[in-house]
Amino acid sequence: MSARGLALDTAAWASPWRTRRVLDKAILALGLLGCAVALPPWPGGVAAGVSALVILLGPGRVPARLLARCMSAPAVFVIIGAATVMVSVWWDAGPRIGLASSQSDLALQILVRGISGALCAFVLATTTPMVDLFAALRRARVPDPLIEVASLTYRLIFVLLDSARAIREAQDARLGYTSRAASYRSLSSLSAAILVRSWTRARRLEDGLAGRGYVDALRTLDPPVRASRVFIASSLVLVAAIVCLALLPGYLPAGTLPSILRGS
Amino acid sequence: MHIQDILPPMHAIGWAVASAPFVIHGARAVTREVRENPESRLLLGAAGAFTFVLSAIKLPSVSGSSSHPTGTGLGAVLFKPPVMAFLASVVLLFQALLLAHGGLTSLGANIFSMGIAGPWIGYAAWRLLRGVGTSVAVFFAAALADLATYVVTSFQLALAFPDTAGGLGGAFVKFASIFAITQIPLAIVEGLLTVLIFRVIRDVARPELIRLGVISAASPAEQSATQQSASTTEALR
Repeated sequence: MSARGLALDTAAWASPWRTRRVLDKAILALGLLGCAVALPPWPGGVAAGVSALVILLGPGRVPARLLARCMSAPAVFVIIGAATVMVSVWWDAGPRIGLASSQSDLALQILVRGISGALCAFVLATTTPMVDLFAALRRARVPDPLIEVASLTYRLIFVLLDSARAIREAQDARLGYTSRAASYRSLSSLSAAILVRSWTRARRLEDGLAGRGYVDALRTLDPPVRASRVFIASSLVLVAAIVCLALLPGYLPAGTLPSILRGS
Repeated sequence: MHIQDILPPMHAIGWAVASAPFVIHGARAVTREVRENPESRLLLGAAGAFTFVLSAIKLPSVSGSSSHPTGTGLGAVLFKPPVMAFLASVVLLFQALLLAHGGLTSLGANIFSMGIAGPWIGYAAWRLLRGVGTSVAVFFAAALADLATYVVTSFQLALAFPDTAGGLGGAFVKFASIFAITQIPLAIVEGLLTVLIFRVIRDVARPELIRLGVISAASPAEQSATQQSASTTEALR
Protein backbone atom coordinates (compact mmCIF):
# COMPACT_ATOMS: atom_id res chain seq x y z
CA MET A 1 0.00 0.00 0.00
CA SER A 2 2.72 2.39 0.98
CA ALA A 3 4.63 1.49 -2.15
CA ARG A 4 1.73 2.73 -4.27
CA GLY A 5 1.62 6.00 -2.34
CA LEU A 6 5.32 6.48 -2.77
CA ALA A 7 4.96 5.59 -6.46
CA LEU A 8 2.46 8.41 -7.09
CA ASP A 9 4.69 10.77 -5.12
CA THR A 10 7.82 9.65 -6.98
CA ALA A 11 6.04 10.23 -10.29
CA ALA A 12 5.21 13.77 -9.17
CA TRP A 13 8.82 14.58 -8.25
CA ALA A 14 10.14 13.13 -11.52
CA SER A 15 7.48 14.72 -13.72
CA PRO A 16 8.61 16.87 -16.67
CA TRP A 17 5.75 19.21 -15.69
CA ARG A 18 7.07 19.73 -12.19
CA THR A 19 8.42 23.19 -13.07
CA ARG A 20 5.11 24.36 -14.48
CA ARG A 21 3.13 26.75 -12.31
CA VAL A 22 0.70 24.93 -9.96
CA LEU A 23 -2.14 27.23 -11.04
CA ASP A 24 -1.68 26.22 -14.71
CA LYS A 25 -1.80 22.52 -13.86
CA ALA A 26 -4.73 23.00 -11.46
CA ILE A 27 -6.77 24.75 -14.18
CA LEU A 28 -6.20 21.82 -16.54
CA ALA A 29 -6.80 19.05 -13.96
CA LEU A 30 -9.79 20.61 -12.22
CA GLY A 31 -11.35 21.67 -15.53
CA LEU A 32 -11.16 18.11 -16.81
CA LEU A 33 -12.38 16.79 -13.44
CA GLY A 34 -15.39 19.11 -13.64
CA CYS A 35 -16.18 17.77 -17.11
CA ALA A 36 -15.83 14.16 -15.94
CA VAL A 37 -18.21 14.64 -13.02
CA ALA A 38 -20.75 17.17 -14.27
CA LEU A 39 -21.25 16.19 -17.93
CA PRO A 40 -23.32 13.20 -19.02
CA PRO A 41 -21.05 10.13 -19.20
CA TRP A 42 -21.31 9.80 -22.99
CA PRO A 43 -19.63 11.54 -24.73
CA GLY A 44 -18.50 14.18 -22.17
CA GLY A 45 -17.32 11.98 -19.30
CA VAL A 46 -15.52 9.54 -21.57
CA ALA A 47 -13.88 12.39 -23.51
CA ALA A 48 -12.56 13.94 -20.27
CA GLY A 49 -11.15 10.58 -19.14
CA VAL A 50 -9.54 9.85 -22.49
CA SER A 51 -7.99 13.35 -22.65
CA ALA A 52 -6.57 12.89 -19.15
CA LEU A 53 -5.15 9.49 -20.12
CA VAL A 54 -3.53 10.92 -23.26
CA ILE A 55 -2.05 13.82 -21.28
CA LEU A 56 -0.70 11.48 -18.58
CA LEU A 57 0.91 9.02 -20.99
CA GLY A 58 1.98 11.67 -23.53
CA PRO A 59 3.44 14.96 -22.23
CA GLY A 60 3.11 13.85 -18.57
CA ARG A 61 5.35 10.83 -19.30
CA VAL A 62 3.83 8.69 -16.53
CA PRO A 63 4.81 5.02 -17.05
CA ALA A 64 1.77 2.94 -18.05
CA ARG A 65 2.51 0.24 -15.44
CA LEU A 66 2.65 2.81 -12.68
CA LEU A 67 -0.64 4.30 -13.84
CA ALA A 68 -2.28 0.87 -13.88
CA ARG A 69 -1.06 0.22 -10.32
CA CYS A 70 -2.38 3.58 -9.13
CA MET A 71 -5.76 2.91 -10.77
CA SER A 72 -6.32 -0.40 -8.96
CA ALA A 73 -7.54 1.12 -5.67
CA PRO A 74 -10.12 3.55 -7.12
CA ALA A 75 -11.23 0.93 -9.66
CA VAL A 76 -12.16 -1.51 -6.87
CA PHE A 77 -14.19 1.14 -5.01
CA VAL A 78 -15.97 2.25 -8.17
CA ILE A 79 -16.83 -1.29 -9.30
CA ILE A 80 -18.30 -2.16 -5.87
CA GLY A 81 -20.40 1.02 -6.00
CA ALA A 82 -21.65 0.33 -9.54
CA ALA A 83 -22.44 -3.32 -8.72
CA THR A 84 -24.43 -2.24 -5.65
CA VAL A 85 -26.57 0.09 -7.74
CA MET A 86 -27.39 -2.78 -10.12
CA VAL A 87 -28.94 -4.78 -7.25
CA SER A 88 -32.36 -3.62 -6.11
CA VAL A 89 -33.80 -4.08 -2.59
CA TRP A 90 -37.45 -3.43 -1.81
CA TRP A 91 -40.15 -4.42 0.69
CA ASP A 92 -43.02 -6.58 -0.53
CA ALA A 93 -44.36 -8.56 2.43
CA GLY A 94 -40.76 -9.28 3.32
CA PRO A 95 -37.43 -8.06 2.00
CA ARG A 96 -36.92 -8.73 -1.72
CA ILE A 97 -33.67 -8.60 -3.62
CA GLY A 98 -33.46 -8.51 -7.38
CA LEU A 99 -31.30 -7.41 -10.27
CA ALA A 100 -32.41 -4.01 -11.55
CA SER A 101 -31.71 -3.84 -15.27
CA SER A 102 -33.30 -0.37 -15.35
CA GLN A 103 -30.41 0.84 -13.18
CA SER A 104 -27.74 -0.21 -15.69
CA ASP A 105 -27.52 3.36 -17.05
CA LEU A 106 -26.83 4.67 -13.56
CA ALA A 107 -24.25 1.93 -12.93
CA LEU A 108 -22.51 2.82 -16.20
CA GLN A 109 -22.57 6.49 -15.20
CA ILE A 110 -20.89 5.64 -11.86
CA LEU A 111 -18.23 3.59 -13.66
CA VAL A 112 -17.41 6.34 -16.17
CA ARG A 113 -17.45 9.12 -13.56
CA GLY A 114 -15.30 7.21 -11.09
CA ILE A 115 -12.66 6.10 -13.59
CA SER A 116 -12.41 9.38 -15.54
CA GLY A 117 -12.54 11.36 -12.29
CA ALA A 118 -9.55 9.44 -10.93
CA LEU A 119 -7.62 9.89 -14.20
CA CYS A 120 -8.28 13.66 -14.20
CA ALA A 121 -7.15 13.94 -10.56
CA PHE A 122 -3.97 12.05 -11.53
CA VAL A 123 -3.11 14.92 -13.94
CA LEU A 124 -2.50 17.01 -10.81
CA ALA A 125 -1.31 14.20 -8.51
CA THR A 126 1.41 12.87 -10.84
CA THR A 127 2.82 16.25 -11.82
CA THR A 128 2.77 18.27 -8.59
CA PRO A 129 4.57 17.23 -5.38
CA MET A 130 2.70 18.11 -2.18
CA VAL A 131 5.41 20.62 -1.27
CA ASP A 132 4.65 22.70 -4.41
CA LEU A 133 0.94 22.54 -3.59
CA PHE A 134 1.63 23.92 -0.09
CA ALA A 135 3.76 26.73 -1.53
CA ALA A 136 0.87 27.63 -3.85
CA LEU A 137 -1.61 27.55 -0.94
CA ARG A 138 0.72 29.81 1.07
CA ARG A 139 0.76 32.30 -1.80
CA ALA A 140 -3.06 32.08 -1.80
CA ARG A 141 -2.99 33.44 1.79
CA VAL A 142 -3.88 30.24 3.65
CA PRO A 143 -2.74 30.91 7.27
CA ASP A 144 0.85 29.83 8.01
CA PRO A 145 0.04 27.54 11.00
CA LEU A 146 -2.26 25.40 8.83
CA ILE A 147 0.35 25.05 6.08
CA GLU A 148 2.97 24.22 8.72
CA VAL A 149 0.86 21.45 10.28
CA ALA A 150 0.01 20.01 6.85
CA SER A 151 3.60 20.05 5.57
CA LEU A 152 4.92 18.51 8.80
CA THR A 153 2.32 15.78 8.36
CA TYR A 154 3.62 15.19 4.84
CA ARG A 155 7.25 15.07 5.95
CA LEU A 156 6.58 12.69 8.84
CA ILE A 157 4.49 10.27 6.73
CA PHE A 158 7.54 8.82 4.98
CA VAL A 159 9.54 8.40 8.19
CA LEU A 160 6.60 6.68 9.90
CA LEU A 161 5.80 4.42 6.93
CA ASP A 162 9.41 3.25 6.95
CA SER A 163 9.25 2.65 10.71
CA ALA A 164 5.96 0.75 10.36
CA ARG A 165 7.43 -1.46 7.64
CA ALA A 166 10.60 -2.17 9.67
CA ILE A 167 8.66 -2.97 12.86
CA ARG A 168 6.23 -5.20 10.95
CA GLU A 169 9.10 -7.16 9.37
CA ALA A 170 10.76 -7.59 12.76
CA GLN A 171 7.50 -8.79 14.32
CA ASP A 172 6.89 -11.15 11.41
CA ALA A 173 10.36 -12.62 11.78
CA ARG A 174 9.60 -13.33 15.46
CA LEU A 175 6.34 -15.12 14.50
CA GLY A 176 4.27 -12.14 15.60
CA TYR A 177 1.52 -12.83 13.09
CA THR A 178 1.11 -16.60 13.33
CA SER A 179 -2.15 -16.58 15.30
CA ARG A 180 -4.98 -14.08 15.57
CA ALA A 181 -4.24 -13.24 19.21
CA ALA A 182 -0.58 -12.73 18.35
CA SER A 183 -1.43 -10.45 15.44
CA TYR A 184 -3.68 -8.24 17.60
CA ARG A 185 -0.90 -7.98 20.16
CA SER A 186 1.67 -7.21 17.48
CA LEU A 187 -0.56 -4.68 15.71
CA SER A 188 -1.36 -2.82 18.92
CA SER A 189 2.28 -2.52 19.90
CA LEU A 190 3.13 -1.54 16.31
CA SER A 191 0.52 1.25 16.31
CA ALA A 192 1.49 2.48 19.76
CA ALA A 193 5.18 2.43 18.85
CA ILE A 194 4.42 4.49 15.73
CA LEU A 195 2.43 7.02 17.76
CA VAL A 196 5.11 7.40 20.43
CA ARG A 197 7.84 7.52 17.78
CA SER A 198 5.97 10.26 15.89
CA TRP A 199 5.73 12.28 19.11
CA THR A 200 9.40 11.91 20.03
CA ARG A 201 10.45 12.64 16.44
CA ALA A 202 8.28 15.75 16.42
CA ARG A 203 9.69 16.91 19.74
CA ARG A 204 13.27 16.40 18.60
CA LEU A 205 12.52 18.26 15.36
CA GLU A 206 10.99 21.10 17.39
CA ASP A 207 14.03 21.32 19.69
CA GLY A 208 16.42 21.30 16.78
CA LEU A 209 14.50 23.92 14.82
CA ALA A 210 13.95 26.14 17.87
CA GLY A 211 17.71 26.27 18.28
CA ARG A 212 17.93 27.60 14.73
CA GLY A 213 15.35 30.34 15.32
CA TYR A 214 12.19 28.58 14.12
CA VAL A 215 9.40 31.02 15.02
CA ASP A 216 6.47 31.01 12.66
CA ALA A 217 7.11 29.17 9.41
CA LEU A 218 9.64 26.89 7.81
CA ARG A 219 10.13 28.74 4.57
CA THR A 220 12.27 27.33 1.82
CA LEU A 221 13.11 28.79 -1.56
CA ASP A 222 10.71 27.63 -4.23
CA PRO A 223 12.28 26.29 -7.42
CA PRO A 224 11.77 28.61 -10.41
CA VAL A 225 8.36 28.03 -11.97
CA ARG A 226 7.35 28.30 -15.58
CA ALA A 227 4.05 30.14 -16.08
CA SER A 228 2.69 29.68 -19.58
CA ARG A 229 -0.23 31.53 -21.14
CA VAL A 230 -0.19 29.09 -24.03
CA PHE A 231 -0.62 26.21 -21.56
CA ILE A 232 -3.58 27.88 -19.82
CA ALA A 233 -5.16 28.81 -23.14
CA SER A 234 -4.84 25.30 -24.54
CA SER A 235 -6.23 23.84 -21.28
CA LEU A 236 -9.26 26.11 -21.53
CA VAL A 237 -9.72 25.26 -25.22
CA LEU A 238 -9.59 21.54 -24.41
CA VAL A 239 -12.16 21.87 -21.60
CA ALA A 240 -14.41 24.05 -23.79
CA ALA A 241 -14.16 21.53 -26.62
CA ILE A 242 -15.25 18.70 -24.31
CA VAL A 243 -18.19 20.78 -23.02
CA CYS A 244 -19.26 21.61 -26.61
CA LEU A 245 -18.91 17.98 -27.66
CA ALA A 246 -21.16 16.97 -24.77
CA LEU A 247 -23.80 19.68 -24.97
CA LEU A 248 -24.01 20.77 -28.61
CA PRO A 249 -25.94 17.80 -30.06
CA GLY A 250 -28.67 18.25 -27.44
CA TYR A 251 -29.39 21.87 -28.47
CA LEU A 252 -29.69 21.19 -32.18
CA PRO A 253 -32.66 19.52 -33.87
CA ALA A 254 -31.83 16.01 -35.01
CA GLY A 255 -29.96 15.87 -38.28
CA THR A 256 -28.67 19.46 -38.30
CA LEU A 257 -25.19 18.68 -37.01
CA PRO A 258 -23.93 16.94 -40.16
CA SER A 259 -25.18 19.82 -42.35
CA ILE A 260 -23.43 22.39 -40.16
CA LEU A 261 -20.26 20.36 -40.40
CA ARG A 262 -20.66 20.30 -44.16
CA GLY A 263 -20.86 24.11 -44.01
CA SER A 264 -24.08 24.39 -46.01
CA MET B 1 -14.70 3.43 2.79
CA HIS B 2 -13.85 6.39 0.62
CA ILE B 3 -16.29 7.67 -1.98
CA GLN B 4 -14.58 8.21 -5.35
CA ASP B 5 -15.58 10.93 -7.84
CA ILE B 6 -18.98 9.33 -8.42
CA LEU B 7 -21.33 11.72 -6.61
CA PRO B 8 -23.68 13.88 -8.73
CA PRO B 9 -22.38 17.51 -8.77
CA MET B 10 -25.14 18.90 -6.54
CA HIS B 11 -24.48 16.23 -3.89
CA ALA B 12 -20.73 16.86 -4.03
CA ILE B 13 -21.32 20.60 -3.54
CA GLY B 14 -23.93 20.01 -0.82
CA TRP B 15 -21.62 17.83 1.29
CA ALA B 16 -18.75 20.28 0.80
CA VAL B 17 -20.99 23.10 2.08
CA ALA B 18 -22.09 20.94 5.03
CA SER B 19 -18.48 20.12 5.98
CA ALA B 20 -17.06 23.63 5.49
CA PRO B 21 -18.14 25.17 8.84
CA PHE B 22 -16.68 22.23 10.80
CA VAL B 23 -13.39 22.36 8.89
CA ILE B 24 -13.13 26.16 9.23
CA HIS B 25 -13.90 25.91 12.95
CA GLY B 26 -11.22 23.20 13.25
CA ALA B 27 -8.73 25.28 11.26
CA ARG B 28 -9.33 28.25 13.58
CA ALA B 29 -8.89 26.00 16.62
CA VAL B 30 -5.59 24.75 15.16
CA THR B 31 -4.42 28.29 14.33
CA ARG B 32 -5.26 29.53 17.85
CA GLU B 33 -3.57 26.51 19.46
CA VAL B 34 -0.41 27.00 17.37
CA ARG B 35 -0.24 30.76 18.11
CA GLU B 36 -0.57 30.08 21.86
CA ASN B 37 1.73 27.04 22.06
CA PRO B 38 4.08 26.95 19.07
CA GLU B 39 5.37 23.52 20.14
CA SER B 40 1.93 21.95 19.60
CA ARG B 41 2.39 22.52 15.87
CA LEU B 42 4.71 19.54 15.68
CA LEU B 43 2.46 17.42 17.88
CA LEU B 44 -0.45 18.08 15.50
CA GLY B 45 1.68 17.30 12.46
CA ALA B 46 2.69 14.04 14.13
CA ALA B 47 -0.97 13.26 14.84
CA GLY B 48 -1.90 13.80 11.20
CA ALA B 49 0.94 11.59 9.99
CA PHE B 50 -0.03 8.92 12.54
CA THR B 51 -3.65 8.92 11.29
CA PHE B 52 -2.43 8.54 7.70
CA VAL B 53 -0.05 5.69 8.55
CA LEU B 54 -2.73 3.95 10.64
CA SER B 55 -4.95 3.78 7.56
CA ALA B 56 -2.11 2.02 5.72
CA ILE B 57 -1.96 -0.79 8.32
CA LYS B 58 -3.94 -3.89 7.38
CA LEU B 59 -6.15 -5.46 10.06
CA PRO B 60 -6.80 -9.18 10.18
CA SER B 61 -10.56 -9.51 10.11
CA VAL B 62 -12.97 -12.16 11.29
CA SER B 63 -14.51 -12.69 7.86
CA GLY B 64 -11.12 -13.24 6.25
CA SER B 65 -11.14 -10.04 4.24
CA SER B 66 -8.79 -7.31 5.30
CA SER B 67 -9.47 -3.72 6.15
CA HIS B 68 -7.70 -0.92 7.93
CA PRO B 69 -8.48 1.05 11.10
CA THR B 70 -10.00 4.50 10.55
CA GLY B 71 -8.28 5.89 13.62
CA THR B 72 -10.90 8.62 13.95
CA GLY B 73 -12.08 7.45 17.40
CA LEU B 74 -8.58 7.49 18.90
CA GLY B 75 -7.91 10.86 17.25
CA ALA B 76 -11.10 12.36 18.66
CA VAL B 77 -10.29 11.12 22.19
CA LEU B 78 -6.72 12.46 22.00
CA PHE B 79 -7.22 15.76 20.15
CA LYS B 80 -10.99 16.60 20.41
CA PRO B 81 -13.32 16.59 17.36
CA PRO B 82 -12.75 20.19 16.05
CA VAL B 83 -9.00 19.63 15.65
CA MET B 84 -9.74 16.18 14.21
CA ALA B 85 -11.99 17.75 11.54
CA PHE B 86 -9.01 19.75 10.25
CA LEU B 87 -6.49 16.90 10.58
CA ALA B 88 -8.88 14.48 8.84
CA SER B 89 -9.32 16.96 5.96
CA VAL B 90 -5.54 17.13 5.49
CA VAL B 91 -5.23 13.34 5.72
CA LEU B 92 -8.10 12.79 3.25
CA LEU B 93 -6.48 15.22 0.79
CA PHE B 94 -3.23 13.27 1.11
CA GLN B 95 -5.06 9.98 0.63
CA ALA B 96 -6.74 11.36 -2.50
CA LEU B 97 -3.50 12.69 -4.01
CA LEU B 98 -0.93 10.15 -2.75
CA LEU B 99 -2.90 6.88 -2.61
CA ALA B 100 -5.82 7.68 -4.99
CA HIS B 101 -8.22 6.69 -2.17
CA GLY B 102 -11.27 8.90 -2.49
CA GLY B 103 -11.84 11.61 -5.06
CA LEU B 104 -11.29 15.36 -5.06
CA THR B 105 -14.93 16.18 -5.85
CA SER B 106 -16.19 13.86 -3.10
CA LEU B 107 -13.74 15.31 -0.55
CA GLY B 108 -16.57 17.16 1.22
CA ALA B 109 -18.64 13.98 1.59
CA ASN B 110 -15.63 12.00 2.83
CA ILE B 111 -14.68 14.74 5.32
CA PHE B 112 -18.26 14.69 6.62
CA SER B 113 -18.28 10.93 7.26
CA MET B 114 -14.68 10.46 8.44
CA GLY B 115 -13.71 13.83 9.85
CA ILE B 116 -16.97 15.01 11.43
CA ALA B 117 -19.57 12.27 12.06
CA GLY B 118 -17.09 9.58 13.20
CA PRO B 119 -15.05 11.78 15.58
CA TRP B 120 -18.09 13.47 17.16
CA ILE B 121 -19.88 10.17 17.82
CA GLY B 122 -16.67 8.58 19.12
CA TYR B 123 -16.04 11.59 21.37
CA ALA B 124 -19.62 11.50 22.68
CA ALA B 125 -19.17 7.81 23.57
CA TRP B 126 -15.87 8.62 25.32
CA ARG B 127 -17.41 11.43 27.40
CA LEU B 128 -20.52 9.39 28.32
CA LEU B 129 -18.69 6.21 29.31
CA ARG B 130 -15.53 7.66 30.85
CA GLY B 131 -17.07 7.23 34.30
CA VAL B 132 -17.63 3.50 33.69
CA GLY B 133 -13.98 2.83 32.92
CA THR B 134 -11.29 4.11 30.61
CA SER B 135 -11.02 0.87 28.62
CA VAL B 136 -14.80 0.59 28.10
CA ALA B 137 -14.97 4.22 26.99
CA VAL B 138 -12.01 3.84 24.60
CA PHE B 139 -13.49 0.66 23.12
CA PHE B 140 -16.87 2.22 22.38
CA ALA B 141 -15.33 5.49 21.17
CA ALA B 142 -13.23 3.64 18.58
CA ALA B 143 -15.84 1.05 17.56
CA LEU B 144 -18.74 3.50 17.27
CA ALA B 145 -16.64 6.10 15.43
CA ASP B 146 -15.61 3.42 12.92
CA LEU B 147 -19.17 2.15 12.48
CA ALA B 148 -20.68 5.66 12.29
CA THR B 149 -18.31 6.53 9.44
CA TYR B 150 -19.60 3.59 7.39
CA VAL B 151 -23.27 4.22 8.23
CA VAL B 152 -22.92 7.86 7.13
CA THR B 153 -21.13 6.77 3.93
CA SER B 154 -23.99 4.34 3.17
CA PHE B 155 -26.49 7.15 3.74
CA GLN B 156 -24.56 9.49 1.44
CA LEU B 157 -24.51 6.87 -1.33
CA ALA B 158 -28.22 6.03 -0.81
CA LEU B 159 -29.11 9.72 -1.05
CA ALA B 160 -27.13 10.04 -4.28
CA PHE B 161 -28.37 6.80 -5.85
CA PRO B 162 -31.87 5.96 -4.55
CA ASP B 163 -33.25 2.55 -5.48
CA THR B 164 -35.87 2.45 -8.28
CA ALA B 165 -37.99 -0.10 -6.40
CA GLY B 166 -37.15 0.54 -2.73
CA GLY B 167 -36.48 4.31 -2.83
CA LEU B 168 -34.13 5.93 -0.32
CA GLY B 169 -34.81 3.29 2.37
CA GLY B 170 -34.14 0.39 0.01
CA ALA B 171 -30.94 1.99 -1.22
CA PHE B 172 -29.78 2.64 2.36
CA VAL B 173 -30.43 -1.00 3.35
CA LYS B 174 -28.50 -2.09 0.28
CA PHE B 175 -25.42 0.10 0.80
CA ALA B 176 -25.49 -0.43 4.57
CA SER B 177 -25.59 -4.22 4.20
CA ILE B 178 -22.54 -4.08 1.93
CA PHE B 179 -20.49 -1.49 3.82
CA ALA B 180 -21.81 -1.08 7.37
CA ILE B 181 -22.89 -4.59 8.40
CA THR B 182 -19.73 -6.21 7.07
CA GLN B 183 -17.92 -3.51 9.02
CA ILE B 184 -19.35 -4.53 12.43
CA PRO B 185 -16.67 -7.19 13.12
CA LEU B 186 -13.99 -4.77 11.92
CA ALA B 187 -15.37 -2.04 14.19
CA ILE B 188 -15.11 -4.46 17.13
CA VAL B 189 -11.53 -5.30 16.11
CA GLU B 190 -10.67 -1.61 15.88
CA GLY B 191 -12.23 -1.07 19.32
CA LEU B 192 -10.19 -3.86 20.92
CA LEU B 193 -7.03 -2.75 19.15
CA THR B 194 -7.52 0.85 20.25
CA VAL B 195 -7.90 -0.26 23.89
CA LEU B 196 -4.54 -2.07 23.59
CA ILE B 197 -2.94 0.95 21.87
CA PHE B 198 -4.34 3.28 24.53
CA ARG B 199 -2.88 1.10 27.33
CA VAL B 200 0.55 1.14 25.75
CA ILE B 201 0.38 4.93 25.26
CA ARG B 202 -0.74 5.40 28.87
CA ASP B 203 2.28 3.45 30.05
CA VAL B 204 4.79 5.01 27.71
CA ALA B 205 3.58 8.55 27.05
CA ARG B 206 1.70 9.58 30.19
CA PRO B 207 3.06 13.19 30.24
CA GLU B 208 1.75 13.79 26.70
CA LEU B 209 -1.71 12.46 27.62
CA ILE B 210 -1.84 14.71 30.69
CA ARG B 211 -0.79 17.70 28.59
CA LEU B 212 -3.55 16.92 26.09
CA GLY B 213 -6.04 16.70 28.96
CA VAL B 214 -7.04 13.13 28.09
CA ILE B 215 -6.28 11.85 31.59
CA SER B 216 -6.05 13.97 34.70
CA ALA B 217 -2.69 14.66 36.34
CA ALA B 218 -1.46 11.79 38.44
CA SER B 219 -2.60 11.52 42.05
CA PRO B 220 0.19 11.20 44.69
CA ALA B 221 -0.18 7.41 44.69
CA GLU B 222 0.45 7.34 40.96
CA GLN B 223 3.41 9.72 41.07
CA SER B 224 5.94 6.93 41.31
CA ALA B 225 4.27 5.16 38.40
CA THR B 226 4.60 8.33 36.34
CA GLN B 227 8.28 8.62 37.14
CA GLN B 228 8.73 4.98 36.30
CA SER B 229 6.97 5.41 32.94
CA ALA B 230 9.01 8.53 32.28
CA SER B 231 12.15 6.50 32.72
CA THR B 232 10.66 3.83 30.44
CA THR B 233 10.14 6.54 27.82
CA GLU B 234 13.75 7.57 28.19
CA ALA B 235 14.85 3.96 27.88
CA LEU B 236 12.78 3.54 24.72
CA ARG B 237 14.54 6.42 23.09
